[in-house]
Amino acid sequence: MSCHVVREHAGAGPAVLTLRSRPLRVALVGQPNVGKSVVFGRLTGRYVTVSNYPGTTVAITRGRALVGAQVCDIIDTPGVNALEGDVSEDERITRDVLTSDGADLIVQVADARNLRRALMLTAQIAAFGKPMVLALNMVDEAWARGISIDAADLSAVLGIPVVETVAIDGQGFSDLREALARAAVAGAPVGRTSIDRAAWANDLTGRVRRQSTLSLSRIPDLIARATRQPLTGLPILAVVLYALYLFVGVFGAQTLVRLLEDGVFGRGINPASIWLVDRFMPVPFVHDFLVGQYGLITMGLTYAIAIVLPVVTTFFLMFGFLEDSGYIPRLAIFCDRIFRVMGLNGKAVLPMVLGLGCDTMATMTTRILGTPKERLIAILLLALGIPCSAQLATILGILGGVSLAALMTLFVVVLGQMFLVGWLAARVLKGDRSEFIMELPPIRWPRLGNLLTKTRLRVWWYLGEAVPLFLAGTVLLFVLDRLGALIWISRVAEPVVTGLLGLPAATAQILVMGFLRRDYGAAGLFQLAHSGQLTGVQAVVALTVMTLFVPCVANFLIMVRERGLRVGLAIVGVITPVALLTGAGLNYVLHALDVHF
Amino acid sequence: MSCTLLTFTSKAVPLSSLAVGQHGLVSSVSGAPTGRSDRLVSLGITPGAVVTMLQRFPGVVFFCDQTELAVERAVADAILVRPMEDVR
Repeated sequence: MSCHVVREHAGAGPAVLTLRSRPLRVALVGQPNVGKSVVFGRLTGRYVTVSNYPGTTVAITRGRALVGAQVCDIIDTPGVNALEGDVSEDERITRDVLTSDGADLIVQVADARNLRRALMLTAQIAAFGKPMVLALNMVDEAWARGISIDAADLSAVLGIPVVETVAIDGQGFSDLREALARAAVAGAPVGRTSIDRAAWANDLTGRVRRQSTLSLSRIPDLIARATRQPLTGLPILAVVLYALYLFVGVFGAQTLVRLLEDGVFGRGINPASIWLVDRFMPVPFVHDFLVGQYGLITMGLTYAIAIVLPVVTTFFLMFGFLEDSGYIPRLAIFCDRIFRVMGLNGKAVLPMVLGLGCDTMATMTTRILGTPKERLIAILLLALGIPCSAQLATILGILGGVSLAALMTLFVVVLGQMFLVGWLAARVLKGDRSEFIMELPPIRWPRLGNLLTKTRLRVWWYLGEAVPLFLAGTVLLFVLDRLGALIWISRVAEPVVTGLLGLPAATAQILVMGFLRRDYGAAGLFQLAHSGQLTGVQAVVALTVMTLFVPCVANFLIMVRERGLRVGLAIVGVITPVALLTGAGLNYVLHALDVHF
Repeated sequence: MSCTLLTFTSKAVPLSSLAVGQHGLVSSVSGAPTGRSDRLVSLGITPGAVVTMLQRFPGVVFFCDQTELAVERAVADAILVRPMEDVR
C-alpha cells in the first residue's frame, strides 16, 4: 500500500501524492463529538484527551502512524459543523488545515447515527478536492437504535471508500487502514448552497439508511432525560455537587492530605531529610535552603505533593467521570438564562466547568464560543472567579476544617463578584453574544480505561507544571527572606493586608506568592491556618482575595496568546483591584455583623 | 418513529409552540441574526427534517436525527414547522 496506489485512485487528486520524501498527511475531520480523537489514538497509539462532549479538542494534534508501508502524519482536528460561512474559532482551525494545504488526504469521521448531517459535511469537504475516506463511527450505537447503513451502496454513490468502525473497540480499523490507499475525491455536489446540500443529503440518506421501528428505551436515555428536566435535573445537580464535595473535599482534601502531610511528610520525608542534611551537609545555609522554613523539601515539595496532589487527583477522577458521561453540557440548559445576563449563553458552561480542572486549559476551550465578546468575557470570568483544582484543594482543605458556612460565604461572594463583573463587562464591551444553540451529547457509561488514562495524564501534567513553579516560588521566598525583602514587603503591604483586609502581617508574603500561582499562595495559607494563625474570618477573607486573583503565570501567558498582551494586562488590571476591594468589603461586613466561623 | 404513520397539518407554526412529545416537519428557518440559519442547517435543521419536542422549560430541547439540541426561546420561535399528528 504505497502512495502510488493512492494516486491511481485519487483521480483528480493533487499531484503531491506521487512519491514523496515526507509522510502522507492525513487529517481527521468531522462533526464535534464523533470520536476523531479516539480514531487518532487508534491509528497513532498516542493518547489525546477524549471526552463525551463537543469541543474537547480545540487545537491540532499530530502523530505518526505506519499504514502498510506508508508513513503517515495523522492530524487530529477540532470538530466542525460547517466549513463555510461564519465559523467559530475552533472550526476555523480545522478549516485552515484544509485550505492551507496542510493535508494530503482526509478521513471524515462521522457519527453513524446521524448520517444526514455527516453527508452535509461530506459535501463541503468534497469542495476542497482532496481524496477522502468516510468512516462511519459508533455503528454499534446506531445498531442499538435500529439504524443500519448500506455502506457499499453509499461508497458507490460517493465514489469513496466507506468503512464502518467502532473506534473505542478498534473495530473496523484494518478496513480503515486498507481504505486509505483507495481514498478518492468524493462525487458530492460542490459549491452549491447549504439548502441544496441538505436536500442532497436527505435523498442519499433515505436511499442508504434503514431505520427499523424498534426503539429501545435504554437506561442512559432515561438518565439523559432526567438530567435535563428541572424537576429531576436540579436535585441530580445537588447530589453530584455533594458527591464531589465528599470525594474531593472530605476524602481528598482531608483524609488523604492528612495522611500525606502529617504522615508521609510530617513523620517520614521531612524528618528524614532534615536528619540527612544535618548529618552530611551540616551547613546552616544548606539546611535552610532544603529543609528550613522556606525549604525546597519542607515547603515546596510538601505544598505540591502533600497538600495539593491528593485533591487534584481525586478531582480529576471525578471530573473525568462527569466528562465522559456526557453530563456537563446538560447543565447549559439551566445556566443559559443566568449566563445571558453576563453577555454569554449556556454554552459557556463548558469552559466554566472545565476551569475547575485548570483555568489555563479552559481559557483555550473558550474557542468554542461564538463571538469575540463572549470569549473575552469567559476568559475574564475564568481568571477572576473559577478556582482550579489545585486551588480548590486548598480552599476545601482550609475551610472544610472551619465550617460549611465559611465555605458557602466564599462561594457566594466569588459567584456574586463573577456575576457583577460579567454583568458590567456585558454592558461595557462592544459586540454581541451569540444565540444559544447547542448539541447535547448522549449519556454514556464512562470507560474505566479512558478515565484512568486521562486522570493519569492530567496528574502528570499537574506535577510537571505546578511542582517546578512551587519549587521556584519557594526559592524566591528563600532568597527574599535572606535579603530581608520579605520583612520589607510585609511592611509595605501592611496597610492593605492588616489594615484593609484584617489579616496577619505574615499573609503579605503569601499574597505576593499568590501572584505566581494562586494555589501556591493558598497552600501557604493552608499551613498558616493549620498552625492556628488564622481565624475563621481571616481564612475566608484571605481565600476570597486569593481566589479572585489571576490564577497563575501560565494562565496569564495563555490569555496573552489567545487575546494579546494588551487584553491580558487589562484583565490583570481589572482583577487585582476587584480582588482586593472585595476582600476589604468582606472583611468590613463580616466584622460589622460580628460573624465568627 | 417512521413518517409513514404520521400525517401533518399544512399550517406552519413556530417550533416553540409544539407540545412535548409532538413531532414536526421543518419548513423554514426565519429571523434576522445572520448565521442563525447556517448554524441550524449545519446541525441538521433543514427543510424536511423531522423534529420532536422533548422539553420546553427552562430551555427548549428537541430531537432531530438522533441528536438532542438545546436552544433558547428566540431560536425555537424562528424555526417554523408543520405539526404532525400521530394517526396510530
